[in-house]
Amino acid sequence: MIWSEARSAALIARREYQLSCRGPAFWVVAAAGSVLALWRSSSSGVTAALAAYATWNVTVLALSVLAILIAASAAARDRREAASELVFSKALGNSPYLVAARFLGVWGSPITIVVIMLAVAAARQVIGGSPWHLGAYSNALVRCLAPLALATALGFSLTTLFVSPLAAGIAALYWVSVPLARGQLPWVADMTPTQHWPVAALLAAGLVSLTAALYGRALQTGGSRAPLGWAAALLFAGAGIAALGIAFSGDDTLTRRDPILSAMAAQRVLDKQPAPGFWSPDGSGRLVGLSDLSDRPIALAFWGPSAPESAQVLRLLQDAARKFRSANLACIAVCVDSDSGAAAPFADEVKPEVTVIWDRGQHYGDGERWSDSPLGLAYEVKQVPAIFLLDRHRRLQARLDYEALPRLEAALTQVVAEP
Amino acid sequence: MQIEIQSLRKVYPGGVVGLEGLDLTIPSGLYGLLGPNGSGKTTLMRILATLLEPTSGEARVGGYDVRRDKAAIRQVLGYMPQEFGFYPNLSAYETLDYFALLCRVTDKQERQRRIEQALGRTNLTQLAGRRVGTFSGGMKQRLGLAQALLNNPQVLIVDEPTSGLDPEERIRLRNLWAELAGDRVIILSTHIVADLAAGADQLAILHRGRRLFAGRPSEMLSPLRGKTWIIDIEEDELSRVRGDHFVTGVFRSATGMQVRVVADEMTHPRGYPAEPTMDDAYVHIMHQEAGSAADDLV
Repeated sequence: MIWSEARSAALIARREYQLSCRGPAFWVVAAAGSVLALWRSSSSGVTAALAAYATWNVTVLALSVLAILIAASAAARDRREAASELVFSKALGNSPYLVAARFLGVWGSPITIVVIMLAVAAARQVIGGSPWHLGAYSNALVRCLAPLALATALGFSLTTLFVSPLAAGIAALYWVSVPLARGQLPWVADMTPTQHWPVAALLAAGLVSLTAALYGRALQTGGSRAPLGWAAALLFAGAGIAALGIAFSGDDTLTRRDPILSAMAAQRVLDKQPAPGFWSPDGSGRLVGLSDLSDRPIALAFWGPSAPESAQVLRLLQDAARKFRSANLACIAVCVDSDSGAAAPFADEVKPEVTVIWDRGQHYGDGERWSDSPLGLAYEVKQVPAIFLLDRHRRLQARLDYEALPRLEAALTQVVAEP
Repeated sequence: MQIEIQSLRKVYPGGVVGLEGLDLTIPSGLYGLLGPNGSGKTTLMRILATLLEPTSGEARVGGYDVRRDKAAIRQVLGYMPQEFGFYPNLSAYETLDYFALLCRVTDKQERQRRIEQALGRTNLTQLAGRRVGTFSGGMKQRLGLAQALLNNPQVLIVDEPTSGLDPEERIRLRNLWAELAGDRVIILSTHIVADLAAGADQLAILHRGRRLFAGRPSEMLSPLRGKTWIIDIEEDELSRVRGDHFVTGVFRSATGMQVRVVADEMTHPRGYPAEPTMDDAYVHIMHQEAGSAADDLV
């Protein structure tokens, strides 16, 4: 019986997916998303990682809101089309498997839109002659799954439970308010960064389980839903614990507790003086320090994917590393975004010429909280990108901001010429 | 297969009484439910389809209790409600495929066989690939019936199935009832007496949640044998005849008008005996109920 229900549910999920993807709303959103992806990937200097990141950004900020509404519309379909009694009179009509199947089918719809957007961005890269990077696109897709699951679960569950899409509309408004008022809302309320996916996934699963437990109660269609209710409670508890974990194990505490990080943040950068040292991890966890680079001129750039214009310094550093290979130029890019998952594809694109390291400390990606990062504090970084050029004796010879980037090559020529 | 109903009562929130202590036994075959709007037909059908909980009393479908054994009843049930809709973006075939999955028919070939059979029985084969959103009312009605047939139901409950259908489709449906009935129960609710006249094995008349009659059509007709008459009248005579007799129907004829009346004796010079029809019996029963209600008031 359970196998039969599960198999039926899997097939229903497929039909539900087809239903969700057939409406004109789906194609309007897919077309708008594709145009947006095309536009974001067409600017000069846009790499695959940047195009994929832009698509992810659009997804979590805009598509997830639409996902709430798409899911709400799907959940209200039976009532809207007066098909509730036909469905409820069937053997699987009030089964929790049906709830799960419908959720999965509806979730597939925004995921498909993301795939279309990423495909458009990749096609644009290929047509433009730029290398396309499968890892960047797959990374963006994977990072969309949890936020879209939560958004879909919100729209689907609230509409099912409250018998009105109005509740989902309120959820959508809340969702919009999170990125708009990120500075004011708790860090944990923003479900977009990679490290928050467990909270988003647990909340989504909890909402769907709760919906399955309560589904059909209005028609008193019987059957014990107690185990599902307990499962929902456990999932919500798990999400709560994960959220508390994020809230209370923030890098602020780490910065205060770790004497090395405190010492790193306490350094000061002065022209023509030895630059602040560091000891920070790269993408594979290996610690990279300034002392490892003795007797080499160094280009040290601060950047973050949440400020996409700063990401172009990676490509500039890569070009510089190739050009000044004979001078043994070391290129280090310091990512000051705390969303390390977002930065990984960028690092993959420019290795081995550029070493990307992550500054530790809690620093949001909105351009306002970078001062919390110890290395950012030491180098007095106010905005990204910021490039510091050090000579072979670690002395700071030049600092360049975004406007000064065209002068990078000339400045490097001078620095590598320093004895 | 048999449905047993004992002292079934349904009171809606707000105190509206849907059913008032109904007793009924519904055997295999085509069973008609007759009654005016608000008589409790739909309430009874929704309770039997496990979509509505009764307030008190018992109802058993093939031995399964409608309160406790909902899942078991749904396995053997086909239900077509009075008002329903489908997902407009799916074709007729896809719609039936969706509902077949809801009936737990997971085998693709078996699903295909059942869908084609249901489409054929409801004369929808030619429209299988067409989107349901473009269907007329009659086509939707037939698709509603097709979805109810998907699980080869032992109990088929159809609420007002002929509304919106053209005469040819209605005849086709009547033939379908005859074909489907047998050892399964088909409950057909209607307020059109002619839908049942042709083939109902038994029927019940409900009024204000109570049973006024239950039995074979012949039993419904037998009290009127020898008491049903046709009178040829002039048009200006109608109101006088209405005053003198209980009229069950008025028709136009080539020479003027004819009225059907129920009376113990015929005193009108142009009156002559006629065979009672279901319409005569239905109107007579409803008239008696109205009379007893008036007596109760007195």
